Amino acid sequence: MSSTILEVEDLSISFGGLHAVDGVTFAADRHRITTVIGPNGAGKSTLFNLVSGALRPVRGRVRLDGRDVTGAPPFRMQAAGLARSFQITALFFGLTVAENLRLGAQRLEPTGRLWAPVRRSGRAQARVQALLEQFGLADKAEYLVGALSHGEQRRLEIAVALAAEPKVLLLDEPTQGMSHGDTEVTAAFIRKLAQDVTILLIEHDIGLVMDLSDKVVVMHQGRKIAEGPPAAVRADPAVQSAYFGHA
Amino acid sequence: MRDALSYQARTNHWLTGALVLACVIVAGVGFAIGDTFYLRLATEALIFGGLALAVDILLGYTGLLSLGQALYFGLGAYVSAVTLIAYPSFWGAMGAALATGLIGGLAGGLIANRVRGVYFALITFGMAQVMAKAIYNTRSLGASDGLIGVPVIDINLGLLSVSTASPAGFFLFVLGMITALYLVCAYLMDTPFGRLLIAMRTNEARVPFLGYRTSTLRLGSFMLASVVAALSGALYPMLRGFVSPELLFFATSGNAVITVILGGVGTLVGALYGSLIFTILKSVVGSWTEHHLIVIGILFMLVVIFLPKGMMGLLHALLRRASAGKRP
Repeated sequence: MSSTILEVEDLSISFGGLHAVDGVTFAADRHRITTVIGPNGAGKSTLFNLVSGALRPVRGRVRLDGRDVTGAPPFRMQAAGLARSFQITALFFGLTVAENLRLGAQRLEPTGRLWAPVRRSGRAQARVQALLEQFGLADKAEYLVGALSHGEQRRLEIAVALAAEPKVLLLDEPTQGMSHGDTEVTAAFIRKLAQDVTILLIEHDIGLVMDLSDKVVVMHQGRKIAEGPPAAVRADPAVQSAYFGHA
Repeated sequence: MRDALSYQARTNHWLTGALVLACVIVAGVGFAIGDTFYLRLATEALIFGGLALAVDILLGYTGLLSLGQALYFGLGAYVSAVTLIAYPSFWGAMGAALATGLIGGLAGGLIANRVRGVYFALITFGMAQVMAKAIYNTRSLGASDGLIGVPVIDINLGLLSVSTASPAGFFLFVLGMITALYLVCAYLMDTPFGRLLIAMRTNEARVPFLGYRTSTLRLGSFMLASVVAALSGALYPMLRGFVSPELLFFATSGNAVITVILGGVGTLVGALYGSLIFTILKSVVGSWTEHHLIVIGILFMLVVIFLPKGMMGLLHALLRRASAGKRP
């Protein structure tokens, strides 16, 4: 088993002449946290959309565990073991916390179970219980998503993505809009998740990135300008000028 | 673990049971006093309740507003009538309607599911209009007069046989058929497939990231709704002895949507209650004044404003209050 699980090679897309993502190459190691940072408009979210299948690249390759999954639609990416969360919470409002998780976990069951009553999907149900405990939502299982606090919704957003036990989990600004205290808790949480799953993260909070990440990829104007361990990236003069705003 | 959606579905099963019981009592009373008119009317209400079930699958579960569900209801009715005239067999007519629902649903679904929202509503509307006009202008199908002369048949159920001419007997038989359709729909809506339809109504954009292809799910939902509509429609000529192009007109589709909203969207059983109430209202108010549409229009507006979850929403709230009141 090689240590690299996700390889992105020369990935590119442009929107009407704007090179939103331009020849980005990097790799994510198994059970490590790789973080993509960059100023607003650097192309981080577009890069995520390309990797998760929400957008098709015009050039380049995405390999998951050695398998070429370039341009596969999201439902195939998910089946291949790549899941993602969203920067803007994209849960099933109007349904309960448990039902949101159950929907996320359904892929653990064989396709034939789609036609059996939900209570027959025992593995998915067990997974829901485990996630409720793991994410501290057990006492809110029957709450509607809309009744959760912002922090809880952000946590549930990660839990739903994680429910089908993916190999690689893409987290798009999981701490978006969180208080400082909540951010710290979430960081510790993500650290723990990395024991079981490879994490690719987009994050704005630089302090958090430096503590949390095993590797940092810096983007600027659609291109990758640096890649490496947090300390080395922080010291890079190109990163200093692009991201931190001074040379 | 108590599952909120399964729990709601169980409450709806009880409400369906109550409806079936009420219908059986009505059939008994009707039989005793030798009524024909009201039993025939109630049978028609149940048949249109089947069409409303189909609308609720799309609207209440998948989040798709079809303004042309009468297309499949009318096709089922015509196919059934043609079959019965050529070969008076109940199961033959139902089989033909089932095939029509599947094939028509596949074709229509592939067209309508290319678009969403208002455009979906307009495409379904358009498809029904095209088919209605085509039948309206087809002489071999009776054109604007419709097809008459559908024979009375005996439906052989093994131990007993029911004549479509028997008011109480055929009413009970249709009750059984529509209840069976309800049970199939309710079963499917409580499977992961049904839950994915609900998920699509709530947030379609997220569903592919759960690992499911939304176009397949939408097509499955559309085909289910077209089969339910076609099988319900197939019962119509057995009741009335004729079919006419009006069955495919917008009024039929529109009434089915109103029925579902009156009864309660996303409950299935609301479609059946709604259809009985709606049909009775039309008939009763219609006997007072020929401007009954004005009364029904106002009533519809009042329900939408004051009972946005329809009659079932009201009943669920009352049942909840009653069960909460029992505890100290």
